[in-house]
Amino acid sequence: MKKNQTKAWLFLAPTVILSTLFLIWPILRAFVMSFQSGSLINLSWTGFSNYKYIFSDPEFWSSMSHTILYAVVTVPIGLAISVMLAWMIFSKVKHKSFWETTFFMPYVTSTIAIGIVFRYIFNGDYGILNFVLKFFHLPTANWLDDPSMSMITVIIFGIWTSLAFNIVILMGALRNIDPNFYTIAEMYGASSNEKFWRITMPQLVPTLAFLLTMDVISAFKVYTSIYALFNGQAGVGNSASVAVFYIYNKFQMVGTPGVAMAATVILFLLILLTTFLQRKLMKKIGEN
Amino acid sequence: MVCIFMIDEQFVQVKNLRKVYDNGHEALKDVSFSVKKGDLVCLLGPSGCGKTTMLNMLAGLLDPTSGDILFNGKSVVKVAPKDRQIGYVFQNYALYPHMTVLQNVMFPLTVGKNKRSKAEAEKVAKKYMEITQITELANQKPGNLSGGQQQRVAIARALVQEPQILLMDEPLSNLDARLRLKIREEIRSLVKRVGITTLFVTHDQEEALSIGDKIILFNNGVIQQDDVGQNFYLEPNNYFVANFVGNPVIDNFAVKIADGKISGSDFEIPLAALDQDRIKGELTPGEYTLSVRPENILPSEQGHFTAKISDVELIGRERILKFDHDGIQARSLVNLETTIQRGDQVQLSMRLDRIFLFTKEGTRVY
Repeated sequence: MKKNQTKAWLFLAPTVILSTLFLIWPILRAFVMSFQSGSLINLSWTGFSNYKYIFSDPEFWSSMSHTILYAVVTVPIGLAISVMLAWMIFSKVKHKSFWETTFFMPYVTSTIAIGIVFRYIFNGDYGILNFVLKFFHLPTANWLDDPSMSMITVIIFGIWTSLAFNIVILMGALRNIDPNFYTIAEMYGASSNEKFWRITMPQLVPTLAFLLTMDVISAFKVYTSIYALFNGQAGVGNSASVAVFYIYNKFQMVGTPGVAMAATVILFLLILLTTFLQRKLMKKIGEN
Repeated sequence: MVCIFMIDEQFVQVKNLRKVYDNGHEALKDVSFSVKKGDLVCLLGPSGCGKTTMLNMLAGLLDPTSGDILFNGKSVVKVAPKDRQIGYVFQNYALYPHMTVLQNVMFPLTVGKNKRSKAEAEKVAKKYMEITQITELANQKPGNLSGGQQQRVAIARALVQEPQILLMDEPLSNLDARLRLKIREEIRSLVKRVGITTLFVTHDQEEALSIGDKIILFNNGVIQQDDVGQNFYLEPNNYFVANFVGNPVIDNFAVKIADGKISGSDFEIPLAALDQDRIKGELTPGEYTLSVRPENILPSEQGHFTAKISDVELIGRERILKFDHDGIQARSLVNLETTIQRGDQVQLSMRLDRIFLFTKEGTRVY
C-alpha cells in the first residue's frame, strides 16, 4: 500500500511539479504581491494599502464597470445569436459542414488580425459599416474615435468573436439530440417553435451552462480585442479600459506591481463568484 | 350493409404496397394484408426484410412508391402522420430525458392543434398512467427508470391522444430476456384492455407467436405467410417459413421423387404412404427437400434410417439428439428421460403426416 503510494506520487510528479510551478505558484505569488509595494526586485509589506488604493481609484472602478458591462451584454447576446445561428444551420441549411467550418474560421484566426480588419470596417470615414448604414439611411457613428461609442464597438466585436466557438460546440450538442425526439413530436403535431422550446432548448441546457461559464470567464479577461481595435490603446481617453488593461497598466507602465496584483485578486474573486453563482443557477434550471 | 361490416372488420388495409428507396433498394414488393379492429398483429421477419419500412409507412414517416394504405376504409397515404390517429413506440422509447414521466405522457396533449388545457391534459395523462401502472412514477425522470418502466411510459405517451392504431417498433429489444417475457404479456393484456388495434414489429418468432393474434412474416420485402401463429408451425407456406419458425430449427433432407417413392440417401418412402389430403401440388419426379420438425422425427424400433448420435443437448424438459445426415446436422427432440447417449446408433422414424416437401424454389407441395 505504502509502496504503491510512493510509486503513484512518482508517476504524478511531472504534472504536480509543472502545475505547481506554472499554475499554483503564480496565483499564490499574485496574492502575496497584492500585500506588497515597491518595484519587482524590491518589494516590502504594506498590508491592505494596495486594496485601499484601488478602491479609491476612479480608474479602477471605471475599468471594472466596463468589464462587467462587457460581460453582461456580450455573453447573453452572443449566446442567443449563437443558438439561433446553430439551430438555423442545423435544421434548415444544406451543406452543414461547410457552414460549420466557415463559422469556425474566426476562432482559429488571430484576434489581432481580425481586430485590424475590424478597424477598417468600423472606421468612421471610410468603414464598410458606416457605408452600409448610410445605404439603408440609418444613423452612422464614429465607432472608433468617439469615447461614448468605444464600449459599444468593443461589445459588437466581442459578440462577433464569441460566435465561432459557441456555434461549433452547439452544433455538436444539437447533433447529439436523438432525432426520434423530433419524429415523435412531429407525429403529435408539434410546431417547429414547440419543438425548439420544448425539446431543443432543454436538451441544450448543459451545453449552454458550459458555454456561459467559458464565455463569462473569457469576457472578464477581455484584452486582446480592445488592444487590436484601438491600436494598442484602451480606446480614446481610456474610454474602453477594462480590468486587464488596468492591471497591465499598473504593472508595466506605472510600475506598481502590488497595485496590479491587488486588482488581479479582485478580478479573480469576481470570476470565481460569478462562476459559482452560474453553476448554482444552471443546476436549478437543469432540475426543472 | 355487408360493405359497412367489412370496413369495420378490416380496420387496416394495405393494398399492393411497394417501396423503393432512393438508392434503388426495393424494400417492399407488392405487399397486401389487412388487420381486424382490435387485433394485435406481429410483423415478423429477419432484419432487412422490410417490416420496419412497413411500419414507418403506416405511421406516415415514409411515403410508399405505389399502392395504398387504408385506415377504417379511408386512404391515408396523403395524410400527414399527425392526422393519422396513430401512436408510435420507438425501439429506444425516445422519452424526453428532461421531462418527468407525467410531462412525457402529457406531451402529446400539450403541443400542436390537439393542445388541451393543462388540467385536462393532466387528467387524461393520469388516466393512461393508471392503465399502464406508472402513476407512482409521475415525478421521476426517465433516466431513473428501469427498462420495463420506460417502456410503459412510452406506451402511455403513445396512447394519450387516444389513437386508433398503435405501432410498436421492436419495443422489447432493449430489455433483458426475463423482463422481455414479462413485458410482452403486459403489452398484450394492456392493448387488449384498451382495445386498440396494434401492429408490433419484431424479429423474435417466440415473441410473435406468444402475443400476436396473427402474424405476418416478411422476407425480402414479400409477405411469406399471413396467418395465426400455430399455422406457421404446422402448415408453413414455404421453405423459408418452415425454416424461420421453430426452435430447434426444422430438419431438412435432400430427396428425389421417382418411381412412386421419395428417396433420401438412406431411406425410401412410398408416395402412397403419404396423407393424400395434405398433398398441395403435383409430386412430379425431381429433386425436393423433405423437412420435418425435430419433435416429429423420433427414435423407434423400426425407423426410416439409422443415425449415430453426435451430441445430446439438454434444453429444460427436453433433450435434443443431434446427428449427421448427408453431412448436415439434424436434430430429434426427445423426452428428458431418454437413455440415449452420444455415440449410440439409433433408428429414427418420421411422422409422415407431419413432414413437408418443398420444391427447389421453396414452394410447398406436401
